[in-house]
Amino acid sequence: MGYSVEPIEGYAIKRRDKPTIRKNRYEFTKVGIVGCGILGQEITRMLSSHGLDVIFVEISEEKIEQAMASISSDLDHMIERWGMTFSEKRSIMSKIKGSMNYEDLEGSDIVIEAVKSRSRESSVELRKRIFREIEKYIATDAIIATNSTTLVITEMSSELEYPDRCVSLHFLSPADKTEVVEIARGLHTSDSTYEKVCQFANMFEKKVVPVIESPGVISTRLIAPLINEACEILMEGVGKLEDIDDTMKMGFGFPLGPFEIADKIGLDTIVRWLDNLYREFGDQKYKASPLLKKMVRANHLGRETQKGFYRYNNEGKKIIDKKE
Amino acid sequence: MKVLVLNAGSSSIKYQLFDVDNKVVLAKGSVDKIGMSDSYLQNKRSDGDEVKLEGEILEHQTGIEYVLGVLVSEKHGSVGSLEEIDAVGHRVVHGGEAFQGSVLINDQVIQRIEECASLAPLHNPPNLKGIYAINELLPTTPQIAVFDTAFHQTMPKFAYMYAIPYSLYKKYGLRRYGFHGTSHLYVSRRACEITGVDFHTQKIITCHLGNGASITAISHGKSVDTSMGLTPVEGMIMGTRSGDLDLGVLTYIMDKEELGVKEANTLINKHSGILGISGVSSDMREVERAAEDGNNRARLALEMYDYRIIKYIGSYTAAMGGVDMIVFTGGIGENADRLRESVCKKFGFLGLEFDSEKNKGLRAKEAILSKPESKVAVLVVPTNEELVIAEETMKVYLREKNRDKEE
Repeated sequence: MGYSVEPIEGYAIKRRDKPTIRKNRYEFTKVGIVGCGILGQEITRMLSSHGLDVIFVEISEEKIEQAMASISSDLDHMIERWGMTFSEKRSIMSKIKGSMNYEDLEGSDIVIEAVKSRSRESSVELRKRIFREIEKYIATDAIIATNSTTLVITEMSSELEYPDRCVSLHFLSPADKTEVVEIARGLHTSDSTYEKVCQFANMFEKKVVPVIESPGVISTRLIAPLINEACEILMEGVGKLEDIDDTMKMGFGFPLGPFEIADKIGLDTIVRWLDNLYREFGDQKYKASPLLKKMVRANHLGRETQKGFYRYNNEGKKIIDKKE
Repeated sequence: MKVLVLNAGSSSIKYQLFDVDNKVVLAKGSVDKIGMSDSYLQNKRSDGDEVKLEGEILEHQTGIEYVLGVLVSEKHGSVGSLEEIDAVGHRVVHGGEAFQGSVLINDQVIQRIEECASLAPLHNPPNLKGIYAINELLPTTPQIAVFDTAFHQTMPKFAYMYAIPYSLYKKYGLRRYGFHGTSHLYVSRRACEITGVDFHTQKIITCHLGNGASITAISHGKSVDTSMGLTPVEGMIMGTRSGDLDLGVLTYIMDKEELGVKEANTLINKHSGILGISGVSSDMREVERAAEDGNNRARLALEMYDYRIIKYIGSYTAAMGGVDMIVFTGGIGENADRLRESVCKKFGFLGLEFDSEKNKGLRAKEAILSKPESKVAVLVVPTNEELVIAEETMKVYLREKNRDKEE
């Protein structure tokens, strides 16, 4: 008698050749993320804290290190705010791996593209290329999802061998806290893909908002013109910046005012959203305000560059001017 | 009669296979890290054979398939076939107000346990997974649910209600339920066996002090009050839980530090208690060592920990109009002689005469720690929740069988 270590296979009471896939029940264990910027990091953090293995793909070692460091410091921040313990952080971090190779996505049950791109032309082409790369390495029934909303999934998945597994899964930032997620099916998206991705979102206690594929769906299409209009009001001198924000916060219960939201999202992103919406719908209301464009040209992009409508310290906290 | 006891948690399953008639454990073990890449199963047979099985265990059902597999395996098994297992007993954390005792599981029972899940969102769903799995794997074997809350269902209404609007009790079932019921029941009954008195005549205070901690007042065989409430955070100071807290403190912190519900929950459940005060550890042994080395906060943590227990014993004594017996159990209650001494010596005014000599160094075994002339008996009784679950399972199984016969 003694102690031994053995492989577990062969001990189950029912021998299985293949794992049986039950109807209405799917298992997610490994998730791929392509593009680990702020939103990619938030998604990564959310998935790994739910016990999933996450592999993210970035374009350089430097970006990988940056993303890892940033996730780690976000978790530290949560510990400081009592939201987590050190051992939980260790277990979360151990589930995250960064890579420069798409090959490492192999075995993923779902891959989420969360790349940030600069212009429309490059972004459609870029995503088509990313989708093709992803498809090379994952199983034929693994899901490919994009987090973008102003670009339509049907277009991005058009060149894939199995476009039926593509879907738009839109997390709103901060992905781990926002309780709603928009899911849009494209022309090719199969019922089973849609069902699986809804179950995936439910794992994180998100309310799934099913939407018809349409540029900007609900969230972007409403928030982008709101911010745009706030810029017009500011430019016309109707009211002061802080007062416009306060009016929306106190008057309508917005947690953040339009300019605070804009700084959080990034002004370049908003201009890109507006450009995409304008191109798709041709309506003047989506034409980006000259103020937004001017600020983007000056690289005043918001929290990311510490300067947007407001100024921010390096922890992303708003600096409040005392002189006023 | 052979009974398999299952305790399914969120990412682990603990099990024991009992020969209940002889009170013998045939095999025990656990499945750990379910759903993770490094999951494994450990099985220990009564003859000392031990095996660790490594491999992918994605979900509870697979885990239980392997448990059953190893129990009947030629190499490491304990039974010849699955038919030898007469019944399966499940630990179910929350039975709400629906269950006063252990029950045979049927569709209706499952539905009720599902309904209680909102009261124990971390515990009931995995408990249910264990039930579903056995349902599928051993469809003809009777399953019995043993609830952590059931023993406390005898509490009078004035003890279990919270003084908040009554409508909230009606709407959400917000009230005190208590936990560790099987443990409190086992150690109190066992203490009566050891001292040779009738369980149904005694006023007993049981202190289950482990990672989680609760104290129960048992009068004439019934739980009349217990320190845990709707959730396990009420009552004692614990390893990382605050125990009783002025709610104003919580709303104040939430407001000042802009904490959400999740953060506030983590604060009182994971950052507080012995760990939060001492800053040393949530492990009592480490905090005791630190206190011995002169760490003032560690010492304070111990003083606060003991004081909370003393207050509860005092109030339960008053609530029952006296106390005949105080029983210590759980990892800390069974091992921490310092704590037992510090608590018991406060009750000299009740005529409790504590045997310090006998207490010193006593760890994890049954013992009477009061002197023969003491008016209050003090005992250490190591808890054995699995055995209670197995016995309850057998009891319900036989009851149902006899009922079938009568019909």
